[in-house]
Amino acid sequence: MAIITVEDLVKSYKTYKRGSGFKETMKSFVKREEVEIKAVDHISFQIEKGSICGILGPNGAGKSTTIKMLCGALYPTSGKIDVMGFSPAKDRMKYVHQIGAVFGQKSQLIWDIPPVDSFAMNKAIYGIPDADYKKRLSEMAELFDIGEVMHKPTRVLSLGERMKCEFVMAMLHNPEIVFLDEPTIGLDVIAKAKIREVVSEMNRNGTTFILTTHDLEDVEQLAREVIVINHGKKVFDDNLQNLKSALGNKKIVNLSLAKPFKGEKVGDALVIPGSNDHEISLEVDLDKQNIRDFLDSLGGVLDFKDISIKELPMETIITRIYSE
Amino acid sequence: MKYIKIYSACVKTAFSQAAAYRADFIMGSFITLLSNILFPLVTILIYANGAEFPGWDMWEVLLIQSVYSMSTGISSMLLSSVVWVTMDHIRGGSFETVLLKPVSPLFFIMASNFDVQSIGLFLGGVIMAVIAAVHTGIGGLMDVVAFLLLFVAGLLVLCGMNLMMAAISFKWVGNSRIPEIFDSISTFGKYPLTIFPRAVQILSVLIIPVAVIGFFPASALLGRVDGKAFLSLIPCVLFLCLGIWLYNKMIRLYEGVGG
Repeated sequence: MAIITVEDLVKSYKTYKRGSGFKETMKSFVKREEVEIKAVDHISFQIEKGSICGILGPNGAGKSTTIKMLCGALYPTSGKIDVMGFSPAKDRMKYVHQIGAVFGQKSQLIWDIPPVDSFAMNKAIYGIPDADYKKRLSEMAELFDIGEVMHKPTRVLSLGERMKCEFVMAMLHNPEIVFLDEPTIGLDVIAKAKIREVVSEMNRNGTTFILTTHDLEDVEQLAREVIVINHGKKVFDDNLQNLKSALGNKKIVNLSLAKPFKGEKVGDALVIPGSNDHEISLEVDLDKQNIRDFLDSLGGVLDFKDISIKELPMETIITRIYSE
Repeated sequence: MKYIKIYSACVKTAFSQAAAYRADFIMGSFITLLSNILFPLVTILIYANGAEFPGWDMWEVLLIQSVYSMSTGISSMLLSSVVWVTMDHIRGGSFETVLLKPVSPLFFIMASNFDVQSIGLFLGGVIMAVIAAVHTGIGGLMDVVAFLLLFVAGLLVLCGMNLMMAAISFKWVGNSRIPEIFDSISTFGKYPLTIFPRAVQILSVLIIPVAVIGFFPASALLGRVDGKAFLSLIPCVLFLCLGIWLYNKMIRLYEGVGG
């Protein structure tokens, strides 16, 4: 059953073109040119109850605008959103009681006091009964391992610790749907892993998650459904398996070479030239070749000083999906 | 009932926030108190040098000014941060976090930004008012009722004005000069109305009713209130309504900064 239905959603802004530099700034001070920007351009999709849906896209693609509209914080310019029977922006006060949201770049904790005091404020705002609050707080504190951390002032916490507390803040009232906007941005590997683990755990208990990210790993490890947005338009909407098969299972190997290499292929891997002769990237197709075998063979062919292995970058994915 | 509970939880949080930086809190309260003690000193200085506001003796003028402090004290406890907090949210694009709460955004910002330091301003006003009233003496019971009525009306003006300034900051992002405009207009409320030219009198009674903030309630307490004072109750109520309406209207116009 679809818990979220979005039909033909549009959000456009009117803004003024501002020049850069002194001359143009003066010119735009006198006469401003109005520009209409379509942040979200006729997007439709459905999200099933109990799923984890990843909304992917490069910076400025319209992900955050979409999620803000889903949260009821922004009115759509046109189109329809239905979440659990609510129209988010219109029924905002009733609606936000049922959802939780974590914005990776905007804190909801109060800076000068310990998170546990911020939690207590949310308890009053959401009217959570004492017993429920205690039970849920101790469960979540254990899940995230923040038993001690949450009693220190927020300003002294590390980013990872703070993000964990942001999650608790957003989920104390036991929302049915949780929106995560770039939840793992700037976090180290351990903190990311912890947050992903808890999201999976809560999802098994029935919470639906919608997350925006440009970290492909978040999507790979969490999401089952994937929506890709670029320039405000939906370019892909299917499950993760199909995204993978559409892209092929590929890794990028970045190399710093001791000697320049000229050639189109190393083994089966495609060579992507880098910024100079000594930097190249190799695109390895894991369906054809095991990454370990590839690395074993690499030493014999190329003389390199440094190596790193990465996922396909977002931009490549977008171009690939376009060319499909 | 729900809103009272939320308000008290938020005010408690505001107290813990204020207490987080002890020195800052003590200094802040001290400076607030000092700047309010210094202001009446000017009045005392004027009278000590033989000058005067015609028709008003020193203690009467001090009473006006202390009622003005009480009024601004209460309104800034409740609302003064709304302007700054709204401005910060709009500039930083974090107003969504306010919209995520299942309560009225205006109420939430008010409650969670209760200004603890202004308690000093209010208490300073009360103490000064008591001292002044001892010297001037006050009228009968009806005068006290009139005082309370006009005092509340003064609060409505201040609250409405704060809300309008906060509402303006939605569109006029980052203009920290806005409050200064109101500060200078509201100065008219600190002095006996009768000393001003007719145009200023009309302005401060009927258009921007700042006379209701200090002068009218204080003169009511002295039993010297003029019938036309009550005429300004209408613009007072209008001011508050306009402030609330404008703020809520601006929320609807609010657009996220993106990110």
